[in-house]
Amino acid sequence: MADAAVPTAARTPDYNEDVVRKFVIASVFWGVVAFLVGVYIATELAWPQFNLGLSFINFGRLRPVHTSAAIFAFGGSALLGTSFYVVQRTCRARLFGGEALANFVFWGYQFFIVMAALSYVMGFSQSQEYAEPQWHIDLWLTIVWGAYAVIFIGTLMKREEPHIYVANWFYLAFILTIAVLHIGNNLALPISVFSADAYQVAAGVQNAMIQWWYGHNAVGFFLTAGFLGMMYYFIPKAANRPVYSYRLSIVHFWSLIFLYIWAGPHHLHWTALPDWTQTLGMAFSVMLWMPSWGGMINGLMTLSGAWDKLRTDPALRFSVTAVGFYGIATFEGPVMSIRDVNALSHYTDWTIGHVHSGALGWVAFISFGALYYLVPVLWHRSGMYSTRLISWHYWIATLGIVFYISSMWVAGIMQGLMWRAYDQFGFLQYSFAESVVAVHPYYVIRMIGGLLFLTGALMMAYNMIRTVRGPTAARDTAPPLLATVAGE
Amino acid sequence: MFIRHEFIERNAFLLLILTLITIAIGGIVEVIPLFTIETTVEHVKGVRPYSPLEQRGRDIYVREGCYLCHSQQIRALRDEVERYGHFSLAAESMYDHPFQWGSKRIGPDLARVGGKYSSEWHYAHLINAQSVVPESLMPHYAFLADTPLETADIEARLRTLRAIGVPYTDDDIANAAADMATQASPNADNAELLKRYPKAITVPGDGRVVTEMDALVAYLQVLGTMVDFADPANENLQQ
Amino acid sequence: MDIEPSDLIIGLMMIAFGLIGLLLAAGAWDNEMYVFGLSLSGFAAVFVLGLIRRHFDKQAARGRHG
Repeated sequence: MADAAVPTAARTPDYNEDVVRKFVIASVFWGVVAFLVGVYIATELAWPQFNLGLSFINFGRLRPVHTSAAIFAFGGSALLGTSFYVVQRTCRARLFGGEALANFVFWGYQFFIVMAALSYVMGFSQSQEYAEPQWHIDLWLTIVWGAYAVIFIGTLMKREEPHIYVANWFYLAFILTIAVLHIGNNLALPISVFSADAYQVAAGVQNAMIQWWYGHNAVGFFLTAGFLGMMYYFIPKAANRPVYSYRLSIVHFWSLIFLYIWAGPHHLHWTALPDWTQTLGMAFSVMLWMPSWGGMINGLMTLSGAWDKLRTDPALRFSVTAVGFYGIATFEGPVMSIRDVNALSHYTDWTIGHVHSGALGWVAFISFGALYYLVPVLWHRSGMYSTRLISWHYWIATLGIVFYISSMWVAGIMQGLMWRAYDQFGFLQYSFAESVVAVHPYYVIRMIGGLLFLTGALMMAYNMIRTVRGPTAARDTAPPLLATVAGE
Repeated sequence: MFIRHEFIERNAFLLLILTLITIAIGGIVEVIPLFTIETTVEHVKGVRPYSPLEQRGRDIYVREGCYLCHSQQIRALRDEVERYGHFSLAAESMYDHPFQWGSKRIGPDLARVGGKYSSEWHYAHLINAQSVVPESLMPHYAFLADTPLETADIEARLRTLRAIGVPYTDDDIANAAADMATQASPNADNAELLKRYPKAITVPGDGRVVTEMDALVAYLQVLGTMVDFADPANENLQQ
Repeated sequence: MDIEPSDLIIGLMMIAFGLIGLLLAAGAWDNEMYVFGLSLSGFAAVFVLGLIRRHFDKQAARGRHG
């Protein structure tokens, strides 16, 4: 089958890079949009005058715009784009289904994003977190996702490389599980096929469980498994090293995808969800620490023998730092899943801090690392326009993250403690309003953190635009000097 | 064992099937018993479907994203019960399509806000929250008072809810439009309304046009009021 | 005319979506469904035009070098 004597460059199939380029551009664009909306809603929380009395930009309508833009528009475009790039190269096969299907997935996905955001702003939402779009938009996404699955699985099946590379296990798990979760959590009966409004089929406690089965696994599979797939390709590539441990990747893959699904109930501790379900959620969330750190170890130790690259390659710095944040977030998560810790943390800004250490530190950073690698390759440039600018981006963004998460940790723990404080007479010491006043300075710091993160992203966008518009330099599309990953 | 894993890695279909099986298990174990274990929703008296006006108010609460800042779930924790009232029962949200338990408190929990403030207070608070709570971060919802409530689709809405398990009767549905108008008119005779929906609060609308704000206030005023915790029949609830 | 199977299938699918979009917009009960229906039709129309354009661009390129 694969003839090892023939140089790779001579036998490279004609990969569909056009759709990858489109997704890269989309990812950078939506990233800026998502961070901008995030900064705006952070400003609304610091100074509510910024709601301006207008329905379509108030916090309640804009927050889902931010979360959907960050997760699905920015993160999703990065995942779809990189998965198409990685699956082709590690399978040594052009994308299955032809150009039209690939373009349908790209444009159909962008259409989903725009329609969802527009619907929120117009005052339509089904209020399931991270699944806010109404039934008609959900149905559209199902079709687009089905097409995406067909392309990805079809490409795996027509592969020239007999082994399926580890990154593809993670991408595949992400695609399949998201399909299951999406359908399961969006079962709703429209009041009419001509109406955007629908009622969720499940109610109350069952709906709560289904929502958080979905919600936690949107994190576990969209924001984790998918991005681990990204990590497993782009870190070894940029570091020019093989993945640290094949055995570890097997063990942590299967245990991760098995355990993650059970973690949902940790969002419902002390609520009307039955105790047995809460206990299962807690136990499995704590166990989940192990396979998560397995991924972190595998990613970090891949740098073994190449740590000096962190000084010279700021894009790799992003990827490796991402893995570090992944470790932090996947330790913090299990800690917060313990019922007695959760009694303090639930409903507070600690949860927000935790989300953003994962979203900014892990998801965004690993995406930046991959995007900085991909842009020169896809546009046939010898490198990014400015390496210094990448380094600036790195430090400004990291500072932003530190401001964000530390302000939210302080705010969150303070809220939790204030809500449960008793005075010496045995009465509740603080009114709720007093806790709102107390966190105001931290909301301002958080906004500044977000502003720094946005600034970094704008630098990235500028750098990429200059790179794409700059002079083409000689560069092979499949650089033979770098380590080949899985026979590509 | 690792020879066998290589076997999986060479077979896309096998990888796909094994992955699907692996990810299905947790969901099945945690979700299905909540439907089959009968006492998941406690046997308690008083919980009833929302009146048409309350349901429309709920629809507005859902679409405006109120759940993003306000939870509706009092946890079984001492300080929480003291601050907000009896911890929330699963039964109290059994007709909530979708649930609105929330996951963040930028504002206080609303599970038992019904009856704690006058309806006039709610109108003032929704129009300009800072006028009644200076520290509030809440946006202004004056536009709800300026928007007439869409009433033509109320029958379709109740029928849809009935199809997914909310026990509206034919009588309820037939009188839906009239009940909405009655509940927003302080001078109207609400005897029939109360027979269908006990403890429904009439809101001080202007009696001519029912607005979205009328609906939202009617909804807020019923929250947490359905179950009478003083009634001994509602003690010792086990899930 | 030699049409790629992929182009044909996707093209027909998008035409169907375009018609569905018009139907939804025509009977819409709310603004959201109206906007969605029209947007879907517009998107489908532009996409199908794009498929046609690419088909002829490819044909022209083949003609020049074939």
